[in-house]
Amino acid sequence: MNPAVPTWAGVAASAALVLLAVAVAWHGRLRLARDIAIAATRAGVQLAAVGAVLLLVFQHTGLVGASGWLALMVLVAGQVAARRARGLPRALPIATAAIAAGAAATLGALLALGVIAAQARVVIPVGGMVVSGAMQATALVLIRLRDEARTARPAIEARLSLGLPATDAFAPYLRTTLRTALIPAVDSTKTVGLISLPGAMTGLILAGVDPFTAIRYQIVVMYMLLAAAALASLTAGRLAEHALFDDAHRLRPLTTEPRRERV
Amino acid sequence: MAPDELFALDQVTVRRGRAVLLDEVTCRLSAGVCTALMGPSGAGKSTLLRLLNRLEEPTAGQVRLHGRPLADGDVLALRRRVGLVGQQPVLLTDHVPDELRVGRPDLAEGQARTLLEQVGLPAAMLTRQTAGLSGGEAQRLCLARALAVGPEVLLLDEPTSALDAASAKAVEQTVRRLVAAGLTVILASHNIAQARRIADEVLVLRAGRPVAHGAAADIDYLKEES
Repeated sequence: MNPAVPTWAGVAASAALVLLAVAVAWHGRLRLARDIAIAATRAGVQLAAVGAVLLLVFQHTGLVGASGWLALMVLVAGQVAARRARGLPRALPIATAAIAAGAAATLGALLALGVIAAQARVVIPVGGMVVSGAMQATALVLIRLRDEARTARPAIEARLSLGLPATDAFAPYLRTTLRTALIPAVDSTKTVGLISLPGAMTGLILAGVDPFTAIRYQIVVMYMLLAAAALASLTAGRLAEHALFDDAHRLRPLTTEPRRERV
Repeated sequence: MAPDELFALDQVTVRRGRAVLLDEVTCRLSAGVCTALMGPSGAGKSTLLRLLNRLEEPTAGQVRLHGRPLADGDVLALRRRVGLVGQQPVLLTDHVPDELRVGRPDLAEGQARTLLEQVGLPAAMLTRQTAGLSGGEAQRLCLARALAVGPEVLLLDEPTSALDAASAKAVEQTVRRLVAAGLTVILASHNIAQARRIADEVLVLRAGRPVAHGAAADIDYLKEES
């Protein structure tokens, strides 16, 4: 057995770890045993399905299939980010456009510069990381801007009442929001390798690539995630600003209260 | 148009969802005086004020300023002519001089002193941080910040309701001085005693409709609780 890649028997054996987690939950009366079992089963089924589809895409559809796959990821990520920002006008198109912009620009640059190969087996996993990073940043921006538009309404309207255009009246809030949304990407870039060995690098090392080669990929990944988060945040911020104000520089009423977000 | 007419509202309705905030309001508001918009909570006082600097838009009807429809002009220029100060003093910066410069970045120090004097605050306050100001001082600083832009009308939305009696009195005195100096003030208030002290004209609203309008001395609403 090659220890780098587990066999199906090995995967089945690792299910014992799920039983351990279930046992801990049951023993501690955490009322989580059922959730853990469902989550573990779902993970197995989802990943098996994804693996089968990826195999098809890699073998038969090439870059066209990869583009379709990425587009689907962007749509799903847009839904997830928009759901977090419920109550913000036009949240779904804004989130989707921001994630698409961040992912397309970053991935496009990497492909144009020849940093990564234009092959489905490269574009899909790298694209997945980019979309995921862009999604997190977009969700943070939209949640925060929606909340600012609610809580800072008196201050925003005080600025508007002094004749400031909407862009100027909202600038302090947009600036703080973008800073906050980029902190996770900046911090993980700062601490990479010190606090955790990141996914791409770990994967390559497990697959037998020597660490010094693996870090080259990881460096590219970190830079790309920074760019994707920054571009997606900026796009989301600008689009949300347009959605929050009307042509007469008025902050629109946000009617629906945000529901408690499910984790 | 009457010579002293400032704002004219014609059949103005404001709806938000199913709620009717103002219901076919037709009225004229005069220049150079202090007009109090009176009425219970939910009568539409704040909505009417916000219509006048276009923070709110009529669902139907028209608002005119000096005979020209508000919707035809530049909204940013309008808001510099028609300032608004809200119920709670909302300070936007950390230092008093910065606060006065939010709407007018080129304000000179001498002008800043004059503005503080106009609202009854000492010029020494220019060295202070906004965080340590009392509620009354903060509200008068908000007035000064609005005046810095050079408005011809000041809209005040319950400007003393968050203040103690002494601070409220200081704000009222400031308002009277500004009106005496030629500024038009339109004030939303549910405080009858206050309207008696500072208003020249009164417009009483109830459930989004005007029920009385005229010189303060002639309005029965002001006599109700005397």
